[in-house]
Amino acid sequence: MTRITSPNATPTNNPGSYQGVALVAASSIKYSRQSHHGAPWFIGRTLHKMLMETGIKKAEVDGLAVSSFSLGADSAVNLTQHFQLTPRWIEQLPYGGASGVIALRRAARAIQCGDAHIIACIGGDAAFHRSFEATASQFSNFTIDSSFPYGGGGPNAAFALITQHYMDEYGAKREDFAHIALAQRYNANHYPAALLGHKTLTEYQYLNARRIAGPLHLFDCVMPCAGGEGFLMMSEARARHLKLRYCLILAADELHNAHPQDEVQIRAGWSEYVDSLYNNAGLAANDIDILQTYDDYPVISMMQFEDLGFCDKGDGPDFVRRTDLRFDRTGPEKNKLPHNTSGGQLSVGQAGAAAGYMPLVESIRQLTGYAENNQVSNATHSMVSGFGMINYDRGLCSAATILKTGQA
Amino acid sequence: MSNKHTRRARLKLNRPSLRERARPPKQRTPMGQTFTSANYSGVLVMQHCQQCEVVQYPPREICQNCLGDELIWRETSTAGYLLSRIELHHSLWEYFKRRLIDKPWPIATVRLENSTTVFSHLYLASFGDLPLEAIRKGTAVQVFSHSDSSLNSVLIAVSAQCDISQIKDRAAIAKTMGLTTAAERPGGI
Ligand SMILES: [Zn+2]
Repeated sequence: MTRITSPNATPTNNPGSYQGVALVAASSIKYSRQSHHGAPWFIGRTLHKMLMETGIKKAEVDGLAVSSFSLGADSAVNLTQHFQLTPRWIEQLPYGGASGVIALRRAARAIQCGDAHIIACIGGDAAFHRSFEATASQFSNFTIDSSFPYGGGGPNAAFALITQHYMDEYGAKREDFAHIALAQRYNANHYPAALLGHKTLTEYQYLNARRIAGPLHLFDCVMPCAGGEGFLMMSEARARHLKLRYCLILAADELHNAHPQDEVQIRAGWSEYVDSLYNNAGLAANDIDILQTYDDYPVISMMQFEDLGFCDKGDGPDFVRRTDLRFDRTGPEKNKLPHNTSGGQLSVGQAGAAAGYMPLVESIRQLTGYAENNQVSNATHSMVSGFGMINYDRGLCSAATILKTGQA
Repeated sequence: MSNKHTRRARLKLNRPSLRERARPPKQRTPMGQTFTSANYSGVLVMQHCQQCEVVQYPPREICQNCLGDELIWRETSTAGYLLSRIELHHSLWEYFKRRLIDKPWPIATVRLENSTTVFSHLYLASFGDLPLEAIRKGTAVQVFSHSDSSLNSVLIAVSAQCDISQIKDRAAIAKTMGLTTAAERPGGI
């Protein structure tokens, strides 16, 4: 007999306004499949790039938010001596694919309250020989005891089980997932920094790729790599004073370990706050010009289309069939939604915790007009979603934000 | 120790593919080790909360429901139903890489009667000639524990019709699956 009391997953509080906070200096450090550099190199070079682009001095940075799986014995505070920063506000966010949006939420409050004036938010990770294997085998205590011993597939095994279940439940086909992967590869072909951007991907190649686990084949899986992603946060007044192009936060929210009663993951916390997210932004789903989802596997992007209000639960396969996900809206489908405009992790690579910042950094780049060959035209609003931390049988973190272009 | 010996020991440690015998992941947390020893003498043993009677898995130190800490390891029902199942074609772990050379490795997630969800090895042969695709969500299964060749207790899911009442039946299944022997590489270190 069991009497589990179901946790109340519905947040009754509504986050306050994010008014007056500006995001600037979207910066990405070129990814590499393997690198002899450690995480501090990727994080430090990302910071360097942001300072070079804005003309802000290192000493002016008084806040630091960092996410990384590969800092080893170090934490965010150790990095302050690495870089000789003297911040009065630091934060470390070990939340994988949700790290970026969560960093944004924490840092925005610090800016609004005056706890810090210029905050660098950075995700960066190293990729040494066989380091991914070590990360996967020791991802969490539940992983060590209860999932990794069953095949040592790392996240592939857990997500294959989730993907297979979703396909059985909602009739999704591999061709539907191909639609997501192919559009992203097209986008990556226009984003020079993407690790796979120099290669095209056809539906035939996608469908006939090497089998990995269950329905997952090679092009459903991200390539682990090293890289860095970051942005600076400051008051809107300061961004204007410095004459920096910026974007604003219209709404943001997060919820973790939502829906524990679901036997297999078919959704995450987004479904619980998506309405208040749109309400606070004063927008509806069809006002979103760019959507960046967390695409560690295509099925997770499909769940985000559903949970973020672009279609109903279970209609994800139909939605992707009738929606053009290319950045330049050149696909044949009538419905247009530029999605993962740099190619996402599937085509750019998964640089550890930096992958949790990539959708956000790419959105800031797009909304400030700094994207190059993959610039989306006429884009004012971007939604960014984060997902992360497969502790055992499901991803726990969910976070989302809606950004708007600010005046330069 | 001779230089040669040290070099070989280091190679064995750093290059699992060169080992003569590869085994399933040995590493466990202290809670995982307790799960292993609790299951040495049972068909399926899990943590039961003394305060609220909830059964939980993966093992942890505190009751997930009432946060009580009086957790007793005892036998639980092996009955449950299938949630999802796949075949692995790729692994990060040398033991499975070798097993995968001949055929894919089936695994499943199962919802047990005690409301826990478990990852398990899936003994496909217990479903007769049914291909994996035909074993749908909701299919009745049984889950039992057995030690693997790293001497850890792992879970195995079989068809509800399969006889697992005797220890020799369960041992035969684990052996047939190759779980109780190392994956060997002739001429390895
Ligand atoms: Zn309890």
